Amino acid sequence: MASGVAGYAAISARVRAMYADLLTPQDFARLSEAPDFLSLFNALKSTAYGRYLDGLKDKDINPRHVIIQIKRKLADSYNSVIQMAPVETRPLVKQLYRYYEIGNLKAVLRAIVTVSSWNTERAIWDRVRDVLFPLGPASVLPAQAMVESGSVAAAIDLLQGTPYEETLSFAMKRYSAEQNLFPLEVALDLSYWRRLWSEAQKLTGQDREHSIRIIGSLLDMNNLMWTIRYRVYHKLSEEEIINYTLPFGYRVHDSDIRAIAAGADFASVFTRLYPEIPDVNTLLENPRTGLPKLEVLFKRRIMQECLAAFVGNPFHIGIPLAFLVLHDFEMQDLIVLIEAKSSGLPEEEYRPFLLKANLLLPEH
Amino acid sequence: MFFPEAMNEVELIVPSKDLLAVTNILGKHGVFHQIDSTYLGLENLGPNTWQEKAAGYSNLERRIQLIMQNLNLSEEYSGASDVDSLSDLEPMQSAVDRIEADVKKTSDQLAAEKKSLEQLESQLHQLEPIAGANVNVGALQKSSYLHSVLGIIPAENVSRLETSLSRVPHAFFTLREDPKRPVVWLVGPRSNSDVIDRAVKSAYLNPLVLPEEFEGTPAEINASIRKAIEISNQNISQLNATLARLADEHKQELRKLLWDVHVSRLIADAIARFGQLRNTYVVVGWVPSAVLAGLTQRLKQASREILIQATPIEPAGHSSNVPVALGNPRSLSPFELLVNTYARPRYEEIDPTALIAITFPLLYGAMFGDVGHGLVVAAFGWLVASKVVPALRGLAALGGLLVICGISATIFGFIYGSVFGFEEVLPHLIRPSQSILQILGIAIGVGIVLLNIGILLNLYNAVRARDWPRFFFDSNGLAGWILYLSFVVLFIQIVGKLILSRTIFPSGVITLAWVLMALTTLVAVIFSEPLKHWMEGHRPLVEGSLAIFGVQAFFEMVEKYISMFSNTLSYVRVGAFAIVHAGFTSAVFVIAHLVSGGTEAGFGFWVVVVLGNLFVIGLEAFIVFIQTMRLHYYEFFSKFFRGGGSPYEPLALASAPKK
Repeated sequence: MASGVAGYAAISARVRAMYADLLTPQDFARLSEAPDFLSLFNALKSTAYGRYLDGLKDKDINPRHVIIQIKRKLADSYNSVIQMAPVETRPLVKQLYRYYEIGNLKAVLRAIVTVSSWNTERAIWDRVRDVLFPLGPASVLPAQAMVESGSVAAAIDLLQGTPYEETLSFAMKRYSAEQNLFPLEVALDLSYWRRLWSEAQKLTGQDREHSIRIIGSLLDMNNLMWTIRYRVYHKLSEEEIINYTLPFGYRVHDSDIRAIAAGADFASVFTRLYPEIPDVNTLLENPRTGLPKLEVLFKRRIMQECLAAFVGNPFHIGIPLAFLVLHDFEMQDLIVLIEAKSSGLPEEEYRPFLLKANLLLPEH
Repeated sequence: MFFPEAMNEVELIVPSKDLLAVTNILGKHGVFHQIDSTYLGLENLGPNTWQEKAAGYSNLERRIQLIMQNLNLSEEYSGASDVDSLSDLEPMQSAVDRIEADVKKTSDQLAAEKKSLEQLESQLHQLEPIAGANVNVGALQKSSYLHSVLGIIPAENVSRLETSLSRVPHAFFTLREDPKRPVVWLVGPRSNSDVIDRAVKSAYLNPLVLPEEFEGTPAEINASIRKAIEISNQNISQLNATLARLADEHKQELRKLLWDVHVSRLIADAIARFGQLRNTYVVVGWVPSAVLAGLTQRLKQASREILIQATPIEPAGHSSNVPVALGNPRSLSPFELLVNTYARPRYEEIDPTALIAITFPLLYGAMFGDVGHGLVVAAFGWLVASKVVPALRGLAALGGLLVICGISATIFGFIYGSVFGFEEVLPHLIRPSQSILQILGIAIGVGIVLLNIGILLNLYNAVRARDWPRFFFDSNGLAGWILYLSFVVLFIQIVGKLILSRTIFPSGVITLAWVLMALTTLVAVIFSEPLKHWMEGHRPLVEGSLAIFGVQAFFEMVEKYISMFSNTLSYVRVGAFAIVHAGFTSAVFVIAHLVSGGTEAGFGFWVVVVLGNLFVIGLEAFIVFIQTMRLHYYEFFSKFFRGGGSPYEPLALASAPKK
């Protein structure tokens, strides 16, 4: 309906305002200097996260509760963008937001499988609730009822009418046979990215171009990481790796995935695809330690793609998408910082895993 | 109306014996915004039993809802009477246990029967594509040289499955096309059965598994399955009839139970967030000053020994956690929506809703002034607000805004003397197309006035918040205001010389403006941060090295001058759009004259005039709306409005289920 200048004037103004609320590298440098968790908490209160942290009572000032509050800010940003996005782009943003619901769904299923030894029903839900992303009314998951249902099958029965019903009904046969959540989680991931990609493909013009670039870059990272993990950690066969990955992306093509699945050298494929990422060979010599570092490098590349969306014509969905991805990365950075400070990790151990701190972002 | 409603932080000390009565009053009055005050309670009293109670009620409420769902009963509350005490959990639990036992056996049987029916139908569905084949399905599975798999696969996995099998010889048939669940048949050499099985499994292909009793050709199996389906359908009808009888029997009791449990759950949830002392409870929350007296009176009636301490909250200092209730009249709700889209005002801030209720229609009308066009926009707004057209219901909240903007455009239409582009019908005060410089000058003048109002509001906000560093040294503070006034004087002087070739201000005023501009640039821009730090007692005054500070200060100064210039010039668009609007409509008439051969009559002339006007309304009404919004969000609000307040959400015991 309303796209172009007219459709994006309001959302563009709102996103710019929210973008200005993101932390700058200087903010990160200041936060990083905090000697412990409490100092970090106090430093965070003077940022845009302050209004989310002000309400915390003294007894709730712990990493778990602070992380939930930090996630709330991202949830608010998503809700704001979804409300204001032009109608034709809204399904894409909503599908992007489902990423956190998929995370919640996996957490609920894992809780059902792994916490049968916990004391009471109340205790299980209390523990699960604290790790869920605070989606609020945006969520279609009856999370508490699922946890309290006590079995994966009963929990999945409660998903009738949700977007996950169809996917999980196929995967449930395998879960029943194997009693392992892996097939359920893979099915959820594949379905999520397929839908996201399909929503991006439905757009036209600059909306399509920018969303393919941002969503495609995220997809590339996931696809490559899955491929390597399936080969290295799960020792899956070529046909399984192909079926558990996706044949599309921004830079990564099906032929690349198939080459790795068939046993090609990781590093050579990577270097061909991403010549600008240095030291891939060294990182992949030991995939177990190198992969997390490679993922950080990927995310930093995606950050650059997102920042590029802010340059030029501002009337397209790329800017809101880029902002949401950047906000998510900021949340990840803050979680790293909070966990590092609360467990007293020295800076040299956690700093390599910070996405934003090592980048020079332009001023808001 | 101009400020969020004044709030009181209310602390209640409630004797245990009056706990329920007080909670009921708080819930029914619907004005108490509760804060979690469990931290104020004593920790050595053991676990909070109210949390357990709330969980118990919540669990029971879900069980009742599930029973009602199984009985196809809508979730209504029967006899939604006032509940003055918490309903006892145990008798309600026994009642639910009794009804559940009655219903569960039948509903479980029904669920199992439906599942079996679904499975039978799925098997039938999978067999249909090979119904004509005269082969024994069982024998096919036991072939010595071929490995075959027949089953359903998620449609999106089909091409990936084929890709994954590209290195082994195989044949793949889609026996039934289906957008979601096609039936496929895969055949390959038995020597590759391991590869095929892995591929099939990882593509989530669910193979058709026929029970032992279904033997023979597809046609024979088909007949057996159909018979089993018939029996299953009969069983389902009988079970449904039993459930309908049970629904009739338990309807009233279930609805009563649901209401009692629902209210008890809400009360227990609220109490679980009270601070528990030995014989009393501490309750903390926010209440608007206007309704505090009424609530206090009701609370004292409910409990003689209650202690109530209400602290009015000054709009100063750190009041970010104070919930914000906007006390605007209903007629301003469309403008409140505009404000909230930008941000919710903070407690200590001016609520700009009433102000933009004047400025928004004013700017809109000035840009879109035409009696006819304004009336069309107003009529469209009324249509949207009335929700008569289903497709426009989603925009209903904007309807009122469009009506007001339409009326404003109509008034400006009278000022410009324009009706659907006809400029000779009405007298006019000013005509944008003929007085271009005048219109642009007025637009900039209006902009200067609005920007000054914005800065003055910022000063007022700073005074209200006792934020003196912001008052004096903010770029939109006192020094910033003087800087802007000096800039305006110099701007007018330069424009006067360039365009009107005359001097507006005497040289003394200009010298003073230059001096003030230099001084206030130092105070409000270059040394703004160090001065604020100095006033706040924050050290060091300059963070980072002096060199970086210098570079930063230089760029901030450049940015400040550019933004003063661009903010002011931004309002030129108000006049420009008024001129463009007149230009567009005159273009319509030029085309109409060309079509009609130079006369103002004939079918062609009127068709072009009508279609052209519709085009102008469709294109401009929307663009002007966005431009008006932009002027408010970017130029006006940024001067004084910070936002970020939290919403006021009072505790309410609903007498009807929440929609």
